[in-house]
Amino acid sequence: MSKTSGNFNRTQYRLGFWLLLAPIVLWLSLLIILPHIDMVLVSLRERIASREYAFSFGNYTAFFTEPLYWNTFVRTAVMSIVATVMTLIIAFPVSFYIAKVLTGRPRIALFILCLLPFWVSELVRTYGWMILLRETGLISGALQWFGLADQPVEMLYNDVAIMVGLIYTSMLFMVVPLVTTLDSLDNSLIEAGYDLGGSSFHVMRSIVIPHAMPGIMSGCIVVFMLTLGNYLTPTLLGGKSSLWFTEQIYTQFITRFNWEQGAAFGILLLILSSLIVWLGLKITRQSFTRVMS
Amino acid sequence: MSDHASASSADAGVQEDLACTLLSKHFGDFTAVDGVSFSIPRGSFFSILGPSGCGKTTLLRMLAGFQQPDSGDILIKGQSVLNTPPNKRPVNMVFQHLALFPTMSVAENIAYGLKRKGVPKREHATLIDEVLAKVHLPGYGDKRIDQLSGGQKQRVAIARCLVLNPAVLLLDEPLGALDLKLREQMKIELKRLQREFNTTFVYITHDQSEALVMSDQVAVMNKGQFEQVGTPQELYYQPKTAFVAGFVGDSNQYAGKVQSQSGDAVTIVTEQGVRLLSHANQPLLAGAPVTLFVRPEVMQISTSRPATEQDNCLAVTVSRVLFDGAQSRVQVETAEGAELTVALPQTADFQALEPGRSVHVSWQASQCLCFVAPADTKPLGTQ
Repeated sequence: MSKTSGNFNRTQYRLGFWLLLAPIVLWLSLLIILPHIDMVLVSLRERIASREYAFSFGNYTAFFTEPLYWNTFVRTAVMSIVATVMTLIIAFPVSFYIAKVLTGRPRIALFILCLLPFWVSELVRTYGWMILLRETGLISGALQWFGLADQPVEMLYNDVAIMVGLIYTSMLFMVVPLVTTLDSLDNSLIEAGYDLGGSSFHVMRSIVIPHAMPGIMSGCIVVFMLTLGNYLTPTLLGGKSSLWFTEQIYTQFITRFNWEQGAAFGILLLILSSLIVWLGLKITRQSFTRVMS
Repeated sequence: MSDHASASSADAGVQEDLACTLLSKHFGDFTAVDGVSFSIPRGSFFSILGPSGCGKTTLLRMLAGFQQPDSGDILIKGQSVLNTPPNKRPVNMVFQHLALFPTMSVAENIAYGLKRKGVPKREHATLIDEVLAKVHLPGYGDKRIDQLSGGQKQRVAIARCLVLNPAVLLLDEPLGALDLKLREQMKIELKRLQREFNTTFVYITHDQSEALVMSDQVAVMNKGQFEQVGTPQELYYQPKTAFVAGFVGDSNQYAGKVQSQSGDAVTIVTEQGVRLLSHANQPLLAGAPVTLFVRPEVMQISTSRPATEQDNCLAVTVSRVLFDGAQSRVQVETAEGAELTVALPQTADFQALEPGRSVHVSWQASQCLCFVAPADTKPLGTQ
């Protein structure tokens, strides 16, 4: 009797397990895996006549032979890495202050203040930056009013504007994992670091940063991915000179109607991001599972 | 003995590793440490014993430099360290939860302090091996912290401090997290290490057994002040205040009133109406409220009325037998309803002791103590 009811429980449990898993499996296979397989297939064909296609590596060779594609690709990668590092440099002290220095209400208040801008859509936030930075914008006006500039100053449509926008957009995704890991650092470890003769610099380097490393890496991975795949911020703040790789993909798909080339670019971007994340983990000797847990 | 440990001997601090004068710390309206003065002779094991919230952790953190006293001075080897930050003080601390660095191996944990102290790198290996051998963990240098057992972590935490040769080692209840057997072993181990390194240990605890077993000197702390400083024996046999008598060791406590006094001996009538004879070291007025302390082990239990005349002899009924091996106790009740806990010798005579049996309990007046009780407070755990 007890055995059969045990079996019944087990099958019930299994059924529940699969039912719970079903949405994520469907989501992954329908929206991620299937489109990507199709994308690989599309990228590997070439139109030879109307509605006639042949297998070809042409789309990939085009990427390597055309310097514009190449340069945009490298530029996007380098800018994304720089944006990630800058976000980390700015977010770390903020996170440390929230997690270790503040307590009680001010701590929650500051954390919410970091979160608040993200209640507004990215588009609106980016327009906010445009209002500040454009030729007729607030900063330009203020500079003229104070007599620091004798004519309107254009601060939009350059790399610095893109960088500012990217860092601003990514901040939260760095602060949250950092606050979480720093919060889990026992204060007595920091005190022990001082007690055994360490200066603030040593305590930071030998105790706080090694402890926060998984949080640093997970924040960096998320920020890097978001930045690399960002379309809105580089386009709006960088204008025509932004040269962001996602724009190339957009152009191929929408403007030039060249889905084959667009798909090849998409696959290349995926390979690039995976490669850089892998390299980052190797260099910092972190494992992906530890970082993501 | 307590004069020996008072602040008056602050002359040059030749024989003292650590001295404090009138140290105070307030948090808002709350006084955590209230004018504490003491000095610790070189190479001794000094414990601060008190209930939680008595201010002992605050005191220790001030010694380590994590908290700044509101007033008073701290002298280490005769030098004031008030303006010395924690990383420059010649004291090291074993934290309550040890605070070993989990991202480093055992050897790296020990090397951390050596590096900061500027010890040349080529000497590290020898020093680490030496100190690991002394704490009985030879060859453990390459282990990760999470591979160690509770007792081994304990030893690494101590080794990490002692390798730096601090003037004073501060220990913040490090044995609290261990199970009972291991704690008993570590008590003996700590005492051995203290002797071997000949370093002054300042140990804070709420566990009176830890303090009594290990210490040369114990300070009993209550409400931010030292109630009494002395050897474990003094605290146990000659407590100076009711708080010390109640906190150190187990005691039967009774509230009562003085009936009469002749010399050292006082006659006391407890609240339940039991008449008892006690020793008192101060003159007491008739009718004064007092608290009486009798230790379970001084009472003689016998099945018949004792042949020799005893100062106190009560006919009682057994209400409960609390068997605990050599520490077995029996709870008895007098006809008036006063409860007593008496140590139960594990001899054949008392094997058959059962609840409901009538026995006699007796003790000498010199073996119990009484203190004047403030009229407005309950006797338990107060001064």
